[in-house]
Amino acid sequence: MQVNGQLALTVLMGIFLVAVAAWLARIENWRSYTPIGGGGALGQQEGYVSEEKPSGIIRWLTTVDHKDIGLLYGTYGLIAFVVGGLMVTVMRIELIDPGMSFISNQFYNSLLTSHGITMLFLFGTPIIAAFANYLVPLLIGADDMAFPRINAIAFWLLPPAALLIWAGFFPIPDLIPAQTAWTMYTPLSAGVGAGNQANAGVDLMLLGLHLSGVSATMGSINFIATIFTERGDDVSWANLDIFSWTILTQSGLILFAFPLLGSALVMLLFDRNFGTTFFAGEGGAMLWQHLFWFFGHPEVYILVLPPMGIVSYVLPRFSGRRLFGFKFVVYSTLAIGVLSFGVWAHHMFATGMDPRLRASFMAVSLAIAIPSAVKTFNWITTMWNGRVRLTTPMLFCIGFVSNFIIGGVTGVFLASIPVDLILHDTYYVVGHFHYVVMGAIAFAGFAGLYYWYPLYTGRMYQKTLGKAHFWLSMVGTNITFFAMILLGYGGMPRRYATYLPQFASLHQVATIGALILFVGQVIFVWNFVQSWLEGPTVDDGDPWDLRESGLYTAEWDWYDQKLQTAIADGGEEEDSVLTDGGDEEESVRTDGGDVDAADD
Amino acid sequence: MDAEPGLSEQYRMASPWPLFIALGIPIAELGILFGLLPLAVGGLLLFGGSVAGMATESGYARTPWRALVVVAIPLAALGAGFVFTTINLPNRGFAIVAAAVILAAAGVVGSAFNTTNDPTY
Repeated sequence: MQVNGQLALTVLMGIFLVAVAAWLARIENWRSYTPIGGGGALGQQEGYVSEEKPSGIIRWLTTVDHKDIGLLYGTYGLIAFVVGGLMVTVMRIELIDPGMSFISNQFYNSLLTSHGITMLFLFGTPIIAAFANYLVPLLIGADDMAFPRINAIAFWLLPPAALLIWAGFFPIPDLIPAQTAWTMYTPLSAGVGAGNQANAGVDLMLLGLHLSGVSATMGSINFIATIFTERGDDVSWANLDIFSWTILTQSGLILFAFPLLGSALVMLLFDRNFGTTFFAGEGGAMLWQHLFWFFGHPEVYILVLPPMGIVSYVLPRFSGRRLFGFKFVVYSTLAIGVLSFGVWAHHMFATGMDPRLRASFMAVSLAIAIPSAVKTFNWITTMWNGRVRLTTPMLFCIGFVSNFIIGGVTGVFLASIPVDLILHDTYYVVGHFHYVVMGAIAFAGFAGLYYWYPLYTGRMYQKTLGKAHFWLSMVGTNITFFAMILLGYGGMPRRYATYLPQFASLHQVATIGALILFVGQVIFVWNFVQSWLEGPTVDDGDPWDLRESGLYTAEWDWYDQKLQTAIADGGEEEDSVLTDGGDEEESVRTDGGDVDAADD
Repeated sequence: MDAEPGLSEQYRMASPWPLFIALGIPIAELGILFGLLPLAVGGLLLFGGSVAGMATESGYARTPWRALVVVAIPLAALGAGFVFTTINLPNRGFAIVAAAVILAAAGVVGSAFNTTNDPTY
């Protein structure tokens, strides 16, 4: 039986490899896409090169264009956001009543684990990579990322990672989802004892997480190389935009944090499968927590710095002023980047670690509030006396600042050891970090998605739906997570599938808030998809009227040029094909010379 | 890339290799972790072959053949580590070595039959 299984696997693997080889050999002579082959050295127009892609689905599977990869990251991130959001909706419905038995406790634990990992690793990190891939090369005047193929590898590692992380939910015999929570604390996650966490579903989840870490590391190296070496002649360190600064800092954090997560995960996998004892002996559980949080706390800043960059970038455009104290926003970004590696043990105040160490971690944790506050004050000052226009992206930016203040101030209290010892492992912590991850990070993501919507779709979203999305999200976020903060003050412990009756009202309030959030996100998805397909075409290279306030930026300039090229050629935009109705192929050749001739 | 300044805007916009490199890694990891040796060998072949293909495509190697051998060397070292050190996972180690041997053999055969050293384009 065993031999037959291995044999079948061998045959399948062999067929798969042969199929791959045949496909590679058959579909194209790939060199025909290489302009370097002959006269390419003379320098062609960009329009010519961007046509050098296969068509249909093959284009998306093989693209190394940073804009395409950005769109892939974005699609992937939004799908993960939907999955993670549905997971938590089910959890909140379960929590509407202490006696509710909508799902089993085990399934609740599985959803809890997967919701966290999905939102942090499959939505948060990729959606930031989506913005960074699409925008950074445009903003710094680069032609593409420094390593376009590495860029594609980094993206394509993510779909297998998601499948592995969610594998336990698929109907595969003998496989159950991980119930370790996203922190994967040992000994539970080491699969020892009488529990069921020795299941292969946990191994698959750990492997998936490892893959997503490899992907993030590859991406970060690419961004660092791109921002250092590929800047245009007119882009210096002095006038590098704020978003690229945050991406650069974030990439530095990823470079130091994610390999450590990878190593710790491999150690855990070895403990689980090959009998090593990294986390088994005395202090093993502490070792895991130290390793995990040395990665885990910088991860928070990995997730929040680029959204802060988006807000710092978008908010001034609708305030009619340039960002107040630009230099100090950059300095505070770098300061947060450095300090973020010195705070990890504040997650461990209650473990019984050495009190002298605790005090030092408290000091650094409190200190990190200073650069965060510098940013907050700079955003507020930017709006002060500005010509504020309450567009949807601006509303999300203001929502970001508001929620970030609540999330941040509740965090300052947690940084204090005596307060933390009371509130540790309660809903207060859950409320605090959700104010930051949902109220701030996701809000900034939405701000970016709306702000650059015309850039990457060529169309405009429906403004009323956008505003409905904002208000439902803002109200839903504050109802849900403020109720959680109050629950925490009351002593409600986190992670449980049920609770004592005295917590019922606040839990019901939180569930109602979550359902409001759910309705808001349904509107968002509808608006996003329908507008992409049917929204009005944006023919103006300056859809936000930035020129009149002198806040026009490089990426819109790129968009404007794209529009003008298309219109001059009678090209792709449906509304502008009026003159000669030429199709895309023809028009681009007119622009960039004959493809075949150029290739010879 | 630096060898050809001014060509950066002419990167080709499509490559078949990244997808398969990204597929090869998880297949190989799954195979090695769970002891599914055909998956381990196949995943490493997919990974190694695609790395060699990509190195050739991007101009770091003139032909894929020597690149295959170069990929095989660290794999063989890793496999040997699994077999002969205290890691002591011989079956998995031999699977990794087998993948290395196949890759190297492909490289040797390829360069033997490849009469011209100049790329065809």
